[in-house]
Amino acid sequence: MTPTYYLVLAAILFTIGAVGVLVRRNAIVVFMCVELMLNSVNLTLVTFSRINGTLDGQIIAFFVMVVAAAEVVVGLAIIMSIFRTRRSASIDDANLLKY
Amino acid sequence: MTEGALLAAEAVSTGEAVTFWIVGPVALAGALGMVFSRNAIHSALWLVLTMLGLGVFYFVQQAPFLGVVQIIVYTGAIMILFLFVLMLVGRESSDSVVETLRGQRQAAIVAGVAFAALVGAGIGRAVYDAPVVGLEEATADGGNVVAIARILFTDYLFAFELTSALLITAAVGAMVLAHVEKEPSERRTQKDLSTARYASSRPGTLTGPGVLATSNSLDTPAILADGQPAADSAATGIEMRELPPVPDHDTTPTKGTPR
Amino acid sequence: MIDSPSVSYTGLSPVLFVLGAALVGVLVEAFVPRAYRWGVQLGVALAGTLGALISVILIAGRNELTLSRAVAVDGPALFIEGTLALLGVLSLLLLAERSPDMGGSAFVAQAAVPVGTVRDRQLATLTYSQTEVFPLATFALAGMMIFAASNNLLVMFVALEVLSLPLYLMAGLGRRRRLLSQEAALKYFLLGAFTSAFFLYGLALLYGYAGTVDLRGIFDQAAGSEKSDALFVIGLAFLVVGLLFKAGVAPFHAWTPDVYQGAPTSVTAFMASCTKVAAFGAIIRVLYVGFGNNDWTWRPVLYGVAIVTLVVGSVLALTQTDVKRMLAYSSIAHAGFILTGTIANSPAGLSSTLFYLLTYGLTTVGAFAVVMLVRDADGEAGHLSQWAGLAKRSPLVAAVFSLFLLALAGIPLTSGFTGKFVVFRAGLEAGAAPLVVIALVASAIAAFFYLRVIVLMYFSEPAADGPTVAVPGLLTTISLAIATAATVLLGVAPGAVLDLADRAALFVG
Repeated sequence: MTPTYYLVLAAILFTIGAVGVLVRRNAIVVFMCVELMLNSVNLTLVTFSRINGTLDGQIIAFFVMVVAAAEVVVGLAIIMSIFRTRRSASIDDANLLKY
Repeated sequence: MTEGALLAAEAVSTGEAVTFWIVGPVALAGALGMVFSRNAIHSALWLVLTMLGLGVFYFVQQAPFLGVVQIIVYTGAIMILFLFVLMLVGRESSDSVVETLRGQRQAAIVAGVAFAALVGAGIGRAVYDAPVVGLEEATADGGNVVAIARILFTDYLFAFELTSALLITAAVGAMVLAHVEKEPSERRTQKDLSTARYASSRPGTLTGPGVLATSNSLDTPAILADGQPAADSAATGIEMRELPPVPDHDTTPTKGTPR
Repeated sequence: MIDSPSVSYTGLSPVLFVLGAALVGVLVEAFVPRAYRWGVQLGVALAGTLGALISVILIAGRNELTLSRAVAVDGPALFIEGTLALLGVLSLLLLAERSPDMGGSAFVAQAAVPVGTVRDRQLATLTYSQTEVFPLATFALAGMMIFAASNNLLVMFVALEVLSLPLYLMAGLGRRRRLLSQEAALKYFLLGAFTSAFFLYGLALLYGYAGTVDLRGIFDQAAGSEKSDALFVIGLAFLVVGLLFKAGVAPFHAWTPDVYQGAPTSVTAFMASCTKVAAFGAIIRVLYVGFGNNDWTWRPVLYGVAIVTLVVGSVLALTQTDVKRMLAYSSIAHAGFILTGTIANSPAGLSSTLFYLLTYGLTTVGAFAVVMLVRDADGEAGHLSQWAGLAKRSPLVAAVFSLFLLALAGIPLTSGFTGKFVVFRAGLEAGAAPLVVIALVASAIAAFFYLRVIVLMYFSEPAADGPTVAVPGLLTTISLAIATAATVLLGVAPGAVLDLADRAALFVG
């Protein structure tokens, strides 16, 4: 095997995450699928860092983790504030805004 | 295989290959489990499995610092935060089977498979014979952490400082959306509560679960002597469970003398 | 020991002013008693944004890269920072509006209280509001400035998040129609997080291709690299997807109508103007600096995307019955016009895009400010039918709104006409004649629905129980006056600003 296998695995994980975002209804699970996508990006970055021989990829991955943490805080706060009102985290229920 | 691909294959030791083929499917299973699991908490746990798998990959690919950060920060902090919020709000909502857009699920899965094939194949073909430089030279002077620190505080200093703005925003946002400020005069002391209770028509404590209760969870109402659920034993803000009907007393006489 | 990178504090001063105002704003939230918070926050935010505007004017003409090539201080960056500072001032005035005639503050008193509870109803009667909106808005503004000035894809990504997170939060802080507001915040957040994951994946692939995320580095690598082009193209595609989402370009436009409609109108004004300016600033920097030589990759795709955007924006706006949704679709169409200039990949394309962004931003802020004024018992009167006969009730406001609509339509003597003229000229010079033709057709379609609203306001009978036009508070009046003056000025005498945009049209790095 070559490090390319990691890249292919990361691409597959990215796609699984993207499909999850489109398919799942629970807002928190949708957000977890986004987190999976970010993780696959991290794996891609670390693998490319090794292939290219520079550490920039690892540092970018580090920043991605920090940004993901901040995003999780804000996102879960938004989801919680909606849940407290609606008693449901289903995104199908978020249907007041329409065509 | 081309020479480049052979060289690339040499950069990967057997141990690493074994690790990949063991942990890789585990990570993949975790991802699939997360997307297809009915229960949201199971989804979170599958994602934890995937993240731990990825942490192993970082260790194996000469990124020990990142591996540790992945396990401590990503899995240990972010996923635990997810689990907290799931416990608080999202647990009971399993996704409904009825689809808002017809065929959306199938279309998404088909598109996803096609997309994965396209991107995966494209990347795979693009990189499979690229020379793998490896990180020995980059981390020669002091190791992985020192090298990361060196670059972090020179080339990426501004990004580092900018993330502070991000974290402040996150903290402010969390407090705005989650922190209810109580007016100082609002909080009723125990004396106030007690006075109010005695002034009301029912000074006694509310009924708790009784002898015939089958569970003592908060959403089980208490049962009155005639088997009906007590209306005022409902906890506020929670939908009470429907109780199975209490079976009638068996009125056949017991054999032998009463004890 | 490592050498710390050189920092050009003068070059960064606009950004530093706004960031400083944001940080002081957070401290104000902690330490200032509630009664004074609104005033102090507004003062701090305005001081920071005006300071940024003045410093942009003072340092105009600089051309350098600072912070180890992470941030560019060049013509386009400064032009956009100045535009953002100006639009930021106008938006902050709208955000701060809390005159009783306009329904008090647009922001909820305590966002953490669930909607519909007793406490929520109690709080709706009180006059204070979440003044955290001010530091959030200034953080977003700082992020936008850096987003358009970043020379390094990682800084661009972090800046993208810095500008997005406060906007997600602000969209959910509406006081009236809280459910709608929270839903808008959720939609914006989920879709935004999804697309920034795409942006990141593109970043990762480009890093893999080039070994660096510096835009110049990518440019140099693209000139000759032993790696296959597939990485480059796929990476660019993902990156552009992320950027086009932020700019509200079709087919990634679905969030725009819902979020614009659900968020409080002053936040919508902020988003519709500033975010688009920042997003296009970043798009143009990435495409011209990083991929300027490889426009065979992105030009055809953006060509098609521009056509789809123009069609979607103008055609779907025809069916809208809500004013804010109509303006949202029109902003999608305008993104298409801006793309027409961007595709040119020439200095003329760059300067025309910069000018169009300025005029579009000012007009949009003004249009949404007028939407804030038309109110009935429930709050803002959103439905177009309620706007019938508005000219009889308030001729001045109707005239101002007509001016903005005409500017959006691109009628001569308004800033919109000058903007469209330079953009179409740049597109024609670059050989994109079919696109310009489609853009003209879309312009005509768009003009139809703008004029329909004007006709509705002037030539229909007002409903008996229709909405009234509130007397604008001082802050809204200032904002409207500046926007109106700029719209007229840039239409009648745009020469000076056009020259400025031309001189600014040179990238560093």
